[in-house]
Amino acid sequence: MSRSFRQSQAGLHTWSGLLLGWVLFLVFVTGTVAFWREGMNRWMRPELARVEQPMQVLAGAQRFLQGKAPDAKSWFIPIATESSPGAQVFWQPQPKEGEAPRRRGRRDTQALIGADGLPALVRETRGGEFFYRFHFDLHYMPVIWARWLVGFAAMMMLVAILSGIVTHKKIFRDFFTFRRKKGQRSWLDGHNATAVLALPFHLMITYTGLVTLMALLMPWAVVANYTDETKLFETLFPQAEAVERSGKPAPLVDLRTLVRDAETRLGGTVGSISVSEPGDASARVTMYRAPSSMLSSRPPSLAYDGVSGRLLWQSPVHGAASLTAGTMIGLHAGRYADTLLRWIYFLCGTAGSLMVASGMVMWTVKRREKLPDPEDPHFGFRVVERLNVATIAGFPLGMGCMLWANRLLPVGMADRAEWEIHTLFLAWLAAFAVSLLRRPAASWVALLGATGLLLGLLPLYNMIATDKGLVAALALGDLLFVGVDLTLLVFGAAFLLVARRVARFRTEPRREGRARGKRIAAPAVLEPAE
Amino acid sequence: MRLLAALPLSYAVASVWAMALARVLPGALAEATVAATLIAFVICAVAAMYAYAARSGWRAVWVLSTAGMAAALIAWLSIAAGSRL
Repeated sequence: MSRSFRQSQAGLHTWSGLLLGWVLFLVFVTGTVAFWREGMNRWMRPELARVEQPMQVLAGAQRFLQGKAPDAKSWFIPIATESSPGAQVFWQPQPKEGEAPRRRGRRDTQALIGADGLPALVRETRGGEFFYRFHFDLHYMPVIWARWLVGFAAMMMLVAILSGIVTHKKIFRDFFTFRRKKGQRSWLDGHNATAVLALPFHLMITYTGLVTLMALLMPWAVVANYTDETKLFETLFPQAEAVERSGKPAPLVDLRTLVRDAETRLGGTVGSISVSEPGDASARVTMYRAPSSMLSSRPPSLAYDGVSGRLLWQSPVHGAASLTAGTMIGLHAGRYADTLLRWIYFLCGTAGSLMVASGMVMWTVKRREKLPDPEDPHFGFRVVERLNVATIAGFPLGMGCMLWANRLLPVGMADRAEWEIHTLFLAWLAAFAVSLLRRPAASWVALLGATGLLLGLLPLYNMIATDKGLVAALALGDLLFVGVDLTLLVFGAAFLLVARRVARFRTEPRREGRARGKRIAAPAVLEPAE
Repeated sequence: MRLLAALPLSYAVASVWAMALARVLPGALAEATVAATLIAFVICAVAAMYAYAARSGWRAVWVLSTAGMAAALIAWLSIAAGSRL
């Protein structure tokens, strides 16, 4: 039984992996970068000073909102941290009759409060938020479709991992085996090494990823128990009762004193604040504990009277299942992780990207040897081969171009933030064209080499053109900029190294598969994740 | 045949089991609902693996359908007997 079961799972592993491998690669790469979401938010705005006193930023945010939106329906203020660019505040104007409620996140109702407590005038950019959103919303397509596609890919991934475990019987022995220069065997060993190395991570991240989208992907349990799903969400995400504006003006309490009180009561730092009906006698302030201070992604909250500062309400304790779900989402997002653990997340994510990439390439390497004429493969084979180049080498190229666009696009440009993102996709499109027009062996070299140059030269540009280059940042002790630039250098070098390996073997078609075998197996890092 | 069993059918089986479990798991309603959803993803993956492990594609369809019917029956009886919030 065990033997046939294992063989059956090999087929499942291959097909579930191939079917959505390209989507998975994009999701893995952007998710890996998104572990540095806040850091990238700051790195992509190098003109901003580092936040040293979060409370000064908070006081500034309150001052700014009191001047800008004194009678808003609500304010939302995140607490700045040393790695964040500042406090990105939002406000919601009073709804006008007959007008649909405004979406949060509109540009004209938000502002970035910098380290000095004043609204910061910086380049327009989505920063790390782009990678975070792309990880599950993709881009240029309706969000719900994208989430179904990503969710479906994640389900396939879960199946691929489980069947992969079954398939590799000697999984741990395989892990310590690396046969260089053995063509398909090298590929398999590389795939196994990156997969097994971070296997608990892959399993965790895939399952918890499904949990983050569970309301969309698996709504049937809710349907079985509720006719109105808002009742469930009221239970799962309890909130203090909404307040009505009384019309009597009253000054809002100093939010800093409430933060101090909330931090002792919550037993952890406050992450964000929302204020309902500011400036009114009925004003209400809600303090949420920071997700960085706890494992669960469903932080407890406290509601205060906005005028007297009296504690009115605290969120009830979560039940076991709800806490489990919240903890899984927390594990997935890794917001709780300190810098060291965040690096481990990042490296595991990189290994995951490599696992997907090597698995995809292995599909072609394995089949090439069985082709009747390896020099002239059939159409389907060529499609997979070229899509592999376009995605695995092309998307990182696009990311490199986007980071350059972040530095080079003029500051006053209209829709600048959008154009940074368009740059990524235009470059990716170009890479796609290259991979269609040229032989895969040649386009691997060209695209990987170009990506290596782009990533490797960016830190040099930062040194010349910004005041947060490697040396300057090191002198300032601003480790975030040091870390990102060094990572870019390492990834740039890795891409170049890989490109050179591929180029060397290009002249010997018989050994081509072997050459690309080392393409991924040689350097431990490949994806441009900063 | 196996692909049919592995893709739409395993999701369908997981869905009806999510409904059945949401009805029968003990504890508060919201808790049972969340727990059932968490378990459903595992059911989906295991069902897909089974679809490829089964002796034949037809057998996979047959077994998974039966498993789904059983859950559907539980869910239907429970909803007919009790009520939804």
